[in-house]
Amino acid sequence: MADQVLDAKGLNCPLPILKAKKALKDVPMGGTLQVIATDPGAVKDFEAFCRTTGNELMESKEDDKVFSFLIKRTS
Amino acid sequence: MASAPLYILLCSGEHEKIQMAAMMASVGAVSERPVEVFVSMNAIFAFAKGRGPDERYHGGAFSRALKEKRAPDAVTLFGQGKELGDLKMWACSMALDVQGWEMDALEDGLFDGPLGLTKFLSDAENGQFVTL
Repeated sequence: MADQVLDAKGLNCPLPILKAKKALKDVPMGGTLQVIATDPGAVKDFEAFCRTTGNELMESKEDDKVFSFLIKRTS
Repeated sequence: MASAPLYILLCSGEHEKIQMAAMMASVGAVSERPVEVFVSMNAIFAFAKGRGPDERYHGGAFSRALKEKRAPDAVTLFGQGKELGDLKMWACSMALDVQGWEMDALEDGLFDGPLGLTKFLSDAENGQFVTL
């Protein structure tokens, strides 16, 4: 269970990333944020976002074109 | 992880190019990459204070699609990039002079000030440079 959940379904690039960045500010260090999105570019986008920001992408999965990402705040 | 700063020279008044500049600037900034945007030529009109999207953005078929699909507003994206990351925006001092504009003619809260091209190019020497 994530500490916070961000529903970014229906949002176009780059809004899921921008909203995730904003939401992560409210997640305590070591806490987790789950992002739910439908943007097909989100899988690679969140991989790159976590790599460049130093946060940990703990899980990335898809279910019927809905993507879910679990991000651990480490930076 | 430190990335090379991104410098965007935005000259075009085309909606599609302004949108791409806003996407690049905001994503770069929230990815903890310093970003600087220099706005000049026709692009400056998109940032005039008090304009709505129809007045602000002019383009081709993709511009119409962006408006119809209510894609994120470019000026809003720039603002979010500033709020969430290290994004600086500069208004070309020549463009302001030619238009007879002061900084208060531009949208509030976006620009860090007027700047000359020489200073921008000098600052950009060690970064990645993109022209739109």
